Amino acid sequence: MKLTAYHRPATLAEARRLLVTLGPTAMPLAGCTSHSFVKGDDARIGVDLARIGYDGIAHANGQFVIGANARIADLQEYHAPGWVLDRVALRFVSQPIRNMTTIGGNIARIFPWNDFPVALLALNATMTIAGETERKIPADQYFDGQPGRLFKEGDILIAIAVPEVGESCGFSYHKETLVHMDFSRLTVAVWLRREGKKVADVRIALGAAIPLPDRLEELEGALIGQVYSPDVVAGAMGAQLAKLRWRSTDVWSEEYAQQLARVHVADAIGEAYRAAGGDRK
Amino acid sequence: MNIEFTLNGKPRMLSISPNEKLTEALRRLGIFSVKTGCNEGACGSCVVSVNGRTVQSCMMYAAQVDGCSVETVESIGSLDHPHPIQNALVEEGAVQCGFCMGGLIMSAKAVFDKNPSPSDEELKIHLDGHLCRCTGYEKIQSALRKLAAGGKA
Repeated sequence: MKLTAYHRPATLAEARRLLVTLGPTAMPLAGCTSHSFVKGDDARIGVDLARIGYDGIAHANGQFVIGANARIADLQEYHAPGWVLDRVALRFVSQPIRNMTTIGGNIARIFPWNDFPVALLALNATMTIAGETERKIPADQYFDGQPGRLFKEGDILIAIAVPEVGESCGFSYHKETLVHMDFSRLTVAVWLRREGKKVADVRIALGAAIPLPDRLEELEGALIGQVYSPDVVAGAMGAQLAKLRWRSTDVWSEEYAQQLARVHVADAIGEAYRAAGGDRK
Repeated sequence: MNIEFTLNGKPRMLSISPNEKLTEALRRLGIFSVKTGCNEGACGSCVVSVNGRTVQSCMMYAAQVDGCSVETVESIGSLDHPHPIQNALVEEGAVQCGFCMGGLIMSAKAVFDKNPSPSDEELKIHLDGHLCRCTGYEKIQSALRKLAAGGKA
């Protein structure tokens, strides 16, 4: 991709007009950190969204609303009761990259190694897209394929709403890399609500080791209503994981990916369960 | 296209191609501390500060800094008046070829600007992503740890 022109709109309306006018040659720019992975020499016109606003984090009515232009470093540095995305942010590449990458950019186009889709799936986030009307799209729908399919010309992702991790709820995030700042090789995020020793509700998402991030709904169904124990998790997990299509990489086979997922998923569920009982949320 | 920005405290105007990366533009302006290493955001040798935040200049379009303040290692110390971070690295023997140092010092400065006595964990968080092929990192960590213990950066 080669930028042949560059625009820097100051408002959402101006950005939308530019995207509509320029059509498919327009390339919306956020943090730009994924551009080196976009291959090809096709000429594009950059529309830099950095100055249209939507870069803060607001907390009200039991949820956090994150502007799509918020940097990963903003998520890392933000602290509030029920906020857990700082943990995901802290494992995100390196500080200079966290200072550049936006959460909107990380979820507008999904590469297998993107970190936030998995966390947002587990947390049941809702994405807001500004178009002719403003549309709110639940994570399950948003991440059920490349998000680009949901965007018409001129549409822009402007916000991500994430519910607080509240009382009796826990969250856990695991990321497997070869070295600390490596791309994700496997990610797991778990949100869990407990009632006593029972799993009252759970959302488990897996990414990087499979082509697109996805929830393990069969496993979730098998756990809901059960008294938690590692044996219950282990017994319920095998069938679900065997059905997934695993990605082999330069360093491991599909079978290894599945075995590794078994360990991380079990550990992450256990951690979320303990957090829901009062350990670190 | 033309951009205007502040480079190391001085206003600059530059004619750029829309596709030009910040690393290339800075080197065109004679800022040779900014190195092109991996050119994909992995090595840290191109790190500069934009509006007070460290960024990988190899991944940023020069057009993005229009109206911004850009700082490179040239702004924080010189041979005659090195910054305490630079002194600490030299005293510890933490510099060999120096290729990584421009970016690494900018990241180290960002940590010490926030906290003059950063913990090992804070140093690790902020310096992860800087590859040094000469020193094996021990001397760098040791230098910054000593500086943090003194709280005089």
